[in-house]
Amino acid sequence: MDDKQRFAEVVLPHVDDALALARWLTGNRTDAEDVVQEACIRAFRAISSIRDANPRAWLLAIVRNTAFTWIAKNRPKVMVTTDDEETFGRVGLEMVEPQASPETVLIEKADSEHLHNAIAALPIAYREVLVLREIEELSYQEIAKALSIPIGTVMSRLARARNLLIQRIELAGTGKAGVA
Amino acid sequence: MIKPTSWSSREESLLLLNAYIDDELDAASALDVERRLESDAALKAEHDRLRQLRGALASTLAGERASDDLKRRIAQISESSETVVVPLRSSRSSFKTRDDWRRLAVAAALAAFVAGAGTYGILRPDPASNDVAAIVADHRRALLAATPYDVASSDRHTVKPWFDSKLALSPQVVDLAASGFPLAGGRVEILDGKAVPVLVYRRRAHVISVVAVPRVGTGVTAPPSLAEARDGYFMIRWRGRDFDYFAVSDIAEGELGEFVARWRDAAADH
Repeated sequence: MDDKQRFAEVVLPHVDDALALARWLTGNRTDAEDVVQEACIRAFRAISSIRDANPRAWLLAIVRNTAFTWIAKNRPKVMVTTDDEETFGRVGLEMVEPQASPETVLIEKADSEHLHNAIAALPIAYREVLVLREIEELSYQEIAKALSIPIGTVMSRLARARNLLIQRIELAGTGKAGVA
Repeated sequence: MIKPTSWSSREESLLLLNAYIDDELDAASALDVERRLESDAALKAEHDRLRQLRGALASTLAGERASDDLKRRIAQISESSETVVVPLRSSRSSFKTRDDWRRLAVAAALAAFVAGAGTYGILRPDPASNDVAAIVADHRRALLAATPYDVASSDRHTVKPWFDSKLALSPQVVDLAASGFPLAGGRVEILDGKAVPVLVYRRRAHVISVVAVPRVGTGVTAPPSLAEARDGYFMIRWRGRDFDYFAVSDIAEGELGEFVARWRDAAADH
């Protein structure tokens, strides 16, 4: 199988997924397209050496790294490294008391715009794990490999990401409930 | 890093709960979580929240769909790259390589000529001075060639990947057609023994070359931008984030200044 054929089989079917990841990491579609295109060039260069059992996860890892290079270059302030983990670690992983609000906010019915904004507002280290899990549906193992972090870190980031989303949605929801 | 030992049991159970919802637990651990859910109302409430979040995410977050244009550009990567990325394979490519060497020789000869002719006035304790001479010479050579670019395109999405595949590096490529400086294409020049990308813009019938020299190390901080005239050409250089840029053209200095200002604005690369 030549490189061109391999590229067509390994990369082309996953361009939509690559775009979704890049879109959530860069924050907009135009930049995401640039990132995906660059990532695909990198992927093509490495294509003859691909040994990965899951080419989709392999491509997503390249997209993620390309996006981080892009972000570091174009928006250095957004960059969050693992050093910041401790800072965000303090953002509590506490459960909201079940009796806290009698009229339980239905997270299921969360306004999609709120949800989008809440995800976009997540620190990037949490956002990437959430997107890889919820949208790209990678396993913990695959996420750990793509991000080069231990599985335990994947778990804690994912739990915190979801926790932050729930808190944000409930906040927005209770605000609305007060009006209604 | 958060150390597992510092997790409260509450936090730990949340991690397990997430893993449970994600189907990542083995049967025994999953069973354990299920038992705890029956007896722990707070945990159950959290479980329900997480499930709801999952549902909300699934129903609102549709995936992206790549445009046909993007798909076409990506499909092209494996088409064009065969001759560009691996230039030593086909006979056409080896001609290309020879061509590069010939060009190097021409550029060097011209640079030597320009440097020689203007030696009196330009000998300053400025290491970039030789580069300036070479860049002006290169610009003049490009004007004498059939086209001042190797890849002709007004689409930055064509020019940028072209550099990327050719040099494994690419400067920012901005489109200034709206300001009256349309992108014409790009070429590769040899400067100080290294291949560097050159963006080519047009201003009416004039050509503007923007040479992007990758910065090595941090070095001395150059003045934000510097203009000078040489052999009837104006050159403005400035320092970007990853590259030092040299814009050279025979348009009026003020006009070139306007070009540089707009370019830097568009690149947000101050």
